[in-house]
Amino acid sequence: MLGMLKAMRTTLKHLPMKKITVQYPEQRERLPERSRGLFRVVIDPASGEPRCRACTLCESNCPVQVIRVNYTSKYRLPVPNAARLAEARFAAQAGLDLKALQPVLDDYYEHGTGLIAMLQNAQDAYGYLPRIAIHEISLQTGISLSQIYGVSSFYNQFRLSPVGERIIDVCHGTACHVAGAMQITEALEEELGVADGKTTTDMKFTLSSVACMGACSQAPVMRIGESTYGALTPDKTRKIIRDLMAEVGAEKG
Amino acid sequence: MTDDTTKNDGTQVNTATDTESRNVTVAERPDGGYRVTVCAGTACVFAGSLAVFDAFVQEVEQAGLGDSVEVSIIGCHGLCSMSPVVVLSDDTLYGHLRPADVAKVVEGHLKGGEPVEKFLYKDAQTGERIRDWHEIGFYKAQTRIALRDVGVIDPESIEAYLARGGYDAARLALTEKTPEWIIEHITDSGIRGRGGAGFPTGVKWKFANQSKSDEKYLICNADEGDPGAFMDCSILEGDPHTVIEGMIIGSYAIGAHEGYVYVRAEYPLAVKRLTMAVADAEARGLLGDDIFGTGWAFNVHLKLGAGAFVCGEETALIASIEGKRGMPRTRPPFPAVSGLWGKPTNINNVETLANVPWIIMHGAEAYAALGVEHCRGTKAFSLAGKLVNGGLAEVPMGSTLRHVIFDVGGGIKGGKKFKAVQLGGPSGGCIPASLLDTPVDYESLAATGAIVGSGGMVVVDDETCMVDLARFFLDFTQKESCGKCIPCRLGTKRMLETLDRIIAGDGREGDIELLQELGGYIIDGSLCALGGTAPNPVLTTIKYFRDEYEAHINERRCPAGKCKSLITYYIDAEACTGCTLCAKKCPTNCIAGEKKQLHVIDVANCIKCDTCRQVCKFDAVKVRSGVEQAVAGVASGAEG
Repeated sequence: MLGMLKAMRTTLKHLPMKKITVQYPEQRERLPERSRGLFRVVIDPASGEPRCRACTLCESNCPVQVIRVNYTSKYRLPVPNAARLAEARFAAQAGLDLKALQPVLDDYYEHGTGLIAMLQNAQDAYGYLPRIAIHEISLQTGISLSQIYGVSSFYNQFRLSPVGERIIDVCHGTACHVAGAMQITEALEEELGVADGKTTTDMKFTLSSVACMGACSQAPVMRIGESTYGALTPDKTRKIIRDLMAEVGAEKG
Repeated sequence: MTDDTTKNDGTQVNTATDTESRNVTVAERPDGGYRVTVCAGTACVFAGSLAVFDAFVQEVEQAGLGDSVEVSIIGCHGLCSMSPVVVLSDDTLYGHLRPADVAKVVEGHLKGGEPVEKFLYKDAQTGERIRDWHEIGFYKAQTRIALRDVGVIDPESIEAYLARGGYDAARLALTEKTPEWIIEHITDSGIRGRGGAGFPTGVKWKFANQSKSDEKYLICNADEGDPGAFMDCSILEGDPHTVIEGMIIGSYAIGAHEGYVYVRAEYPLAVKRLTMAVADAEARGLLGDDIFGTGWAFNVHLKLGAGAFVCGEETALIASIEGKRGMPRTRPPFPAVSGLWGKPTNINNVETLANVPWIIMHGAEAYAALGVEHCRGTKAFSLAGKLVNGGLAEVPMGSTLRHVIFDVGGGIKGGKKFKAVQLGGPSGGCIPASLLDTPVDYESLAATGAIVGSGGMVVVDDETCMVDLARFFLDFTQKESCGKCIPCRLGTKRMLETLDRIIAGDGREGDIELLQELGGYIIDGSLCALGGTAPNPVLTTIKYFRDEYEAHINERRCPAGKCKSLITYYIDAEACTGCTLCAKKCPTNCIAGEKKQLHVIDVANCIKCDTCRQVCKFDAVKVRSGVEQAVAGVASGAEG
């Protein structure tokens, strides 16, 4: 009896209060400012299919690792087949010789070289990573394109565009910076007529900078191909590059 | 072939207890002939040591000394500021040799027996020439353990390493000791990870040992990405076998059969020598399925890094070996529980592993006797920047910075004033002159805001702008941020923009506080040590050199005369002799003046490339900090 009265009192007390129930989905509450909500795959209204292509980038980027991407058969990675290969070759840079890639792939099948080592080998063969080579690797190994592009764009070593015959690496380590590495790069930029990181139009030189070569006592230093130069000054650098440009017949710009 | 070499060398194969002979540097030949060793460390190679080596071979042959003189190469000898360095078996050290000078040394010293004064080390203070390298202050002030054989043996020859007692520690460990004994021994020695974090190695090994799994991995972290640090590079180039030996002992202690060395591709020489060393060790059964007949199997694989600084972080390194983007992940699980391919993994730094064989051979007590409480043993540093003696140095933990910079490093080059020392690369900080008596150990340095880090020490004089230096490091970390944590990815970018603004002369009131506030958020909000330490260079320079920031922001001038937007070049009317050299070298032809007349710089066209100041023989080209002020200076110079 007493319990019933108590319950009635609670009911009566709440009766004149404002209703807290929200008639979802007609009514919607404002979400708290820090709410992140739940994940949902966006459906493409045109095709009615999910837009997600299972590239796994969200999975690998999530700081708290709450995303797991499960592939369904529909979006499983392509298997090598002649028609697909032909198509991909046509679409990418046609005319590039893929023979040089064969040893790299053989190595993968025989020794199970990792993706990074495989890309390093491919870059050794071509000087950079041609699009067609990346497609070929993806098709032959079943590693997704997004994963290969993800890796190759993450590491500084990989280049996705062709480089010059000679790569000029100017060291920008701490000791070299303090000793004036910036002036060296500027002198080279001016002599070559290209910005840092770029290649001359005649494809003779690529100007690039590296973090540290470990030759700090010779700072500032640079490496052109196999040759190394230490204790540089802008003036000395200009002389070296002018001589080299004359030697290989390179043009400014 | 191998036996012959050993005999020819005249070096005795040392027994395990023969520690005395370790103090011998380059063994003298019994017939009284010389052995010439040419340093082939990275710095010396840059200075042309390989050409010097060729010249020696040729000159020795021509002088008819082919039978009594041997020429070989060594890894980094340490005194890189003298490079290329050549060391003779009578302990003479020659530096700054050019191939053309070799004939003089061969004629004078190897034939005549008299040292050639001109190429000996010159003491900056007394001006005295020192012949014996042991007597040079740089070497006298050091205690070498990890670097014990670096610069002493031929790194490309396993015989040379074996002749110095190499692989004895691994033999002792595998044949006579238990993994528990090794772990206890390493724990007692008090050694802490030399990669920067300073986690006790013994404890790490214990965790890995206790993890139950069918497979375990041992990784040697040789991804020395810090700009300005080259100790690991020098160890791998100068003594690769000691690292392999350390790995064998470690593998036995934790129970791993597969090992990886993750080495930077930017160190081609280290990669080459390490590859050779692994192949040599395999050929001799020191690596493989049955090491020393104990049935212990251990194989070492090389993995080349692809140029990502963040891969020095252990979970990012593991991701990179697995062929993924090198992004750190949350811990726990720690790699000791779930690491490479989900198996228990132990990761040690190169220098840590190089210490292990020494500790096994000489005992934990001998190692613990060096250093201070909580920080035992020694630490290798690479000394660079504006020092008299730059190079590779190893000192006991707890030595003061003053000792390292002034006793080992010989003080500041050109008699300039010490301004600051940058420790620990992009994760570290700048320490001013007032804190020079700080002992070098993990805790004391952390208290100043800097860190020991991997051991890069770059000394700067008063010609270096601290704002520019801080910007340099932040630019580096900003580019290297993997992008996973937003505070690190965007925060460093914002900080960099603020610094760029200050350097360009557009600094605002409150920028310093903004930098400090952002820095705090980045430290708190980042997963790994890259973000957690990225603001350190900025925060420490603000802490100790706040006046420079204020000068940039409030007075629009750069006190060190480095930041281009805040300085102006002018020619001193008193000093200019009118030699026309600067006008000839000026890339924009903005210097006008007749021969023997005062030259004037056209400020409007000057690109501030600094060439004129560097080529002037009379120090007549000066830099004035502040822009408006300098324009007036040039005008008055023109009138005068």
